[in-house]
Amino acid sequence: MKKTFGQKLLWRAWEIIGAVNVRVKIMGIVIGGTLLLSAALALQMRASVTRLMETQVQEQGVSIGRDLSARATDLILVNDLYALRQLLLETRANNPNVVYAFVLDPQGSVLAATFDEGFPAGLREVNEAGAQEHHHTVLLNTAQGYVWDIAVPIFNGQAGTARVGISYDIVQQTVLTLTSQALLTTLLILGLSLLAAAFLTFILTRPILELVAVTRAVAQGDFTPRVRRWADDEIGDLADAFNQMTAELARTDELRREREQLRRQLLEGIIAAQEEERRRISRELHDGTSQSLTSLMVGLKNLDTICDSPQVHAQAQDLRNVAGQVLEDVHDLAFQLRPAALDDLGLPAALEHLVNEWQNRHQIRADVVIHLGAERLPGSLETALYRIIQEALTNVARHAGAKNVSALVERRAREVVAVVEDDGLGFDSAHLNGSRLGVAGMRERAELLGGKLTIESAPGAGTSLFVQIPLPQTEGGAS
Amino acid sequence: MTTRILLADDHAVLRAGLRLLLENQPDFEVTGEAASGLEALELAEKLQPDLILLDLTMPGLNGLDALPVLRKSAPDARILILTMHDDPQYLRQALKNGASGYVLKKAADTELLSAVRAVLRGEVYVHPSMTRVLLDDMLTDAPAAPADAWESLSEREQAVLKLVALGYTGAEIAGQLNLSVKTVETYRARGMEKLGLPNRAALVRFALKKGLIGVGGP
Repeated sequence: MKKTFGQKLLWRAWEIIGAVNVRVKIMGIVIGGTLLLSAALALQMRASVTRLMETQVQEQGVSIGRDLSARATDLILVNDLYALRQLLLETRANNPNVVYAFVLDPQGSVLAATFDEGFPAGLREVNEAGAQEHHHTVLLNTAQGYVWDIAVPIFNGQAGTARVGISYDIVQQTVLTLTSQALLTTLLILGLSLLAAAFLTFILTRPILELVAVTRAVAQGDFTPRVRRWADDEIGDLADAFNQMTAELARTDELRREREQLRRQLLEGIIAAQEEERRRISRELHDGTSQSLTSLMVGLKNLDTICDSPQVHAQAQDLRNVAGQVLEDVHDLAFQLRPAALDDLGLPAALEHLVNEWQNRHQIRADVVIHLGAERLPGSLETALYRIIQEALTNVARHAGAKNVSALVERRAREVVAVVEDDGLGFDSAHLNGSRLGVAGMRERAELLGGKLTIESAPGAGTSLFVQIPLPQTEGGAS
Repeated sequence: MTTRILLADDHAVLRAGLRLLLENQPDFEVTGEAASGLEALELAEKLQPDLILLDLTMPGLNGLDALPVLRKSAPDARILILTMHDDPQYLRQALKNGASGYVLKKAADTELLSAVRAVLRGEVYVHPSMTRVLLDDMLTDAPAAPADAWESLSEREQAVLKLVALGYTGAEIAGQLNLSVKTVETYRARGMEKLGLPNRAALVRFALKKGLIGVGGP
């Protein structure tokens, strides 16, 4: 689906907003809210104050004009222009908002004015009040700022018109003062809000951060830490639920460990029993059956020597061959079950024989180096290494298509290492299927003794199988 | 002059057969039969036979352990091992402990008599299928690479080969030397070629000989 430009923009905005942490988000909400509220209030206040002030100032101007008109009537009728001018000056002096005042006769010429430096051109004509009008107001934009020019007819216009200029400054100043006060208040409230928000986010994020820390610990398998219930709210419930889950996990893990332990013990028991059984049968075949077969052969030979009959001779020869063949088979079987050398002479002798036999049977050159020092390894370790190498060699013969194999067993300071390496086909070891090639069994044997098994291979580059098994602590390493 | 022979084998029927086999020869006489290693020691000391036919697997004291003691208590007796075991290590141990010959039981009916005679002549008799072991021992002792080949390797190649000889995996070597697995492979292949060594086992043998690695790790 193709995103429109708007969706992309929204997505980008979310990416940015989503990436900042919760503290910043809450702070942002508080700052944004406070600023919006303040701005709206300020604008509204400005508008109403302006309207109110305008009305008041205008009304004041009208009343001044009316007053002036009433008092000027007599003076105009007696034509006392000096007193008229005094009246105007007095009016301006008494009212700071009055910028100017003047009186026109019915024909429109100036009778008296407050202007000291001549009458401004054009001012006379901008405003006029009809004879029946109470007053007439015009807003002027002058060099001294906005001025309301209010015209009030004198004696119903028969004696002329009184004109008063009322400054708009007072309105502007009042609004400005009020606005700056509002701004100051806004800043103060903003500061307080931020403090409150910081406290709030601290309260909110502290349990969340703790939850995160504990989750990490749990992920790493440490089930001991618990989350504190900071407050009796949703986050507190989350903490409780989390603790419950952790406890449950710990229980399950414990159970799993116990089962694994049990499984290992069972497996160990089975392997030990199997080896013991093999050892017993192998011994029996070796010491009992083989000996009997040998005596059979020797006896037949004796019979052959004593008796001159050619029939007996031939029969004895045949029987000796049969007995010899059975002896070979029994010997092989005993060796395959468990070589006596593994118990009597130790791992090096058993491995050497194994590799020799294997080499002869499969016609693959095998080179073996065993470097373990004089001290014998513990029996279970010898058996495990022998079986793993036996299995590895079987795999090489079956799958590798190798010409050369080298086997290596070495003692290190605290462990024994075995390597079986061939120059065969190899495979992609990333796709090694655990159960294939008997690898699982070999690995299990190594792991039962606390060791590990590694296979490195690549198509065309042969296969290397590594086994590392730690030596028991009590024995220590040979120096 | 008859040759006096002591039979030491825990299998009675076999002993009877062997006695018959040997005594069919006019110049052989079986003077004693022992069913265990200890019994063999006693009889050998008492009888001072010319030849002891000794089984390796016997209850109590086994043949291998009895051998050196027998050599002392009957110094003139030649000892011929007659055993089921075809492991090279048994052969080596037996010869080292003073046996003059080694016959496998599967060839008891065919080779025993000639083996006895050979040993009595003062020769050493080893079952033909096992002489190969002794030959291999000798041959693998030959130096695998010229002495100065190691010094011609680069420092990196030496470091990699040492770890290869110690049995580390490619990934472990790469980790220890801060190289990629691929590079480790290259160093290894180049180093092995310079040394003329075919495989890891040969490399280990070479390293042991040069004293590059010892028992107990690096």
